[in-house]
Amino acid sequence: MAYLTLSNISKQYADAYAVQDFNLDVEKGEFVSFLGPSGCGKTTTLRMVAGFEIPTTGKIMVNSLDITNKSPNQRNVGMVFQAYALFPNMTVAQNISFGLRVRKGKESAIKERVAEMLSIINLENRGNSYPYQLSGGQQQRVALARALAISPQVLLLDEPLSALDAKIRVSLRAEIRSIQQRLGITTIYVTHDQEEALSLSDRIVVMNSGRIEQVGTPFQIYNFPETSFVASFVGSLNTADAEIVDPAKKLLSMDGVKFESAEEMDGLQKGDKVRIAIRPERFSFASEQKKANVVDCRIENITFLGSVVRIQVLIGKTKFNMDTFNNPFLELPKIGDETRVTCSREAVLVIGTESR
Amino acid sequence: MNFISRLRKIRFWSWFWLILGAFYFIMPLLATFEFSISWDPNEPLKAYTRVFEDNSFWESFLYSNLLAVATIIVNTILIVPTAYWIRLRLPQARRIVEFITLLPFVVPAIILVFGLIGVYSAPIGIPFTNIDIFQPLTTFKFGTNVLIVAGYMILAMPYMYRSVDTGMRTVDVRTLTEAAQSLGASWLTIITQVILPNVRTALLSGALLTFAIVVGEVTLASFLGVSAFGPYLFLLGQHRAYEPAALSFVSFLLTWAAMGLIQLFTGGQGQAAGTR
Repeated sequence: MAYLTLSNISKQYADAYAVQDFNLDVEKGEFVSFLGPSGCGKTTTLRMVAGFEIPTTGKIMVNSLDITNKSPNQRNVGMVFQAYALFPNMTVAQNISFGLRVRKGKESAIKERVAEMLSIINLENRGNSYPYQLSGGQQQRVALARALAISPQVLLLDEPLSALDAKIRVSLRAEIRSIQQRLGITTIYVTHDQEEALSLSDRIVVMNSGRIEQVGTPFQIYNFPETSFVASFVGSLNTADAEIVDPAKKLLSMDGVKFESAEEMDGLQKGDKVRIAIRPERFSFASEQKKANVVDCRIENITFLGSVVRIQVLIGKTKFNMDTFNNPFLELPKIGDETRVTCSREAVLVIGTESR
Repeated sequence: MNFISRLRKIRFWSWFWLILGAFYFIMPLLATFEFSISWDPNEPLKAYTRVFEDNSFWESFLYSNLLAVATIIVNTILIVPTAYWIRLRLPQARRIVEFITLLPFVVPAIILVFGLIGVYSAPIGIPFTNIDIFQPLTTFKFGTNVLIVAGYMILAMPYMYRSVDTGMRTVDVRTLTEAAQSLGASWLTIITQVILPNVRTALLSGALLTFAIVVGEVTLASFLGVSAFGPYLFLLGQHRAYEPAALSFVSFLLTWAAMGLIQLFTGGQGQAAGTR
């Protein structure tokens, strides 16, 4: 049985459902991210695990114990908040030891644990500082140490990096992942930042309008989206209307331009309208040897994005983005040039709006 | 450099308004002090000596201080959890509670004291029976003390509630509560160890105002017949000239000392109440 189980969880406010039919099993030591746009129900679900919200229906089990109706202070669940939520009147060490003192631990054990936590977050010399004397990143590390000090059964992180600047965000997320792996703690991480979710998680739960859209590894979520929402929300995506030409050969036509796909087309017939999706990085300039999905195009725009160069191409009547790694020695085409681009059969995803 | 820019450089008007403001506040104080020491040129502190030698002064002053401390304690126990709960769970009740706390500004103390006397000068019994639980509160010392503290609580409520509520506005009460809950803290621990210390400055400000109101209050104390400091000052002012001036000056010094103490206790970590 899974370590953390959420069964048929729903949360209703007045007439609206914030979360509906949420089912998830999380294994011990797993890092799972809830990813979705604002208002999709990810934080509400996290707060139900923490005990700050009680589900309208459903059950939450941790380590085979039903905690659905337990109060937050009886759950032994650590939580890290977006706004740090450090106690301003306490020093860093007092903040970290707060949960241990509430549990009436031995003074020597508390001191030892605080020192251990300070060492884990690399703030050994800041035990006597007050939160206002620390930077945002340091405060969030203290908040993480405070949540971990009580050895929680589950660690919950509610958009913990949102208030930090980009550089600290990247370094701190690596630190969070490293600490989580070292301690082997079961973790749920809420974020609307797909890069964070993709880089940190063992599995990602993509949510939309209170429901789960897809659960999978970052690789699965990015490369094999199961719904059009996941395909469009995770990563950037080119989409276009197309028509089935030959379901057996998985051949499609977009404005008369032929594309071959690797997707199963069971139940689809010739002439059916579908929507196709191709990620920008799956396009490349066509070499002579390529046979499948080599299409003529015209360069419409070129945007330099640092490590990536985004080239907008017109294929048929539809504009597609194509991403290529920045290479100082790469000879880029010019706007208006006629050229040919290609993509693999696997890159052409069929995301029919009705049937999928 | 032209005249205007020079003026700007020396910040003439800033200094002008500062000095004017200082005069406005300090001149009456200096005048009071000067008057208080003019009774006997051979003994400048005669008014002060007389006041401090008077037993009635000490008795009424200590009594009022005790009443003030009792009012502050009971008000803190009542108002801190109320303001906290309204911020945390009942934000829709804030307008009603704010309205109630402002009532002492609208209803004068004389109405309050007559109401208290009217209700509590009769025995308190179980409704619709002849069974009495308490004899009239106005007929014995402890009962009168309870009544006067209750009256002072109402008079001080606007200051205390607003101070505490403003203090709670500066900290994220909800998130701090949830953080403490997730760490296993009970409600009592949250209020005493997390919320109270973070509204300490606001609470002290409210307490100081409460203290000032209670120590100088005349109406409730006079009509309830207690020998508090307010009626003592009032009587002194009617029959003497120099002693009231000396007492006024001492009161100023006491107020400043209290403000200094607040700074001393909260200054170092006062800004800790802000998150960053």
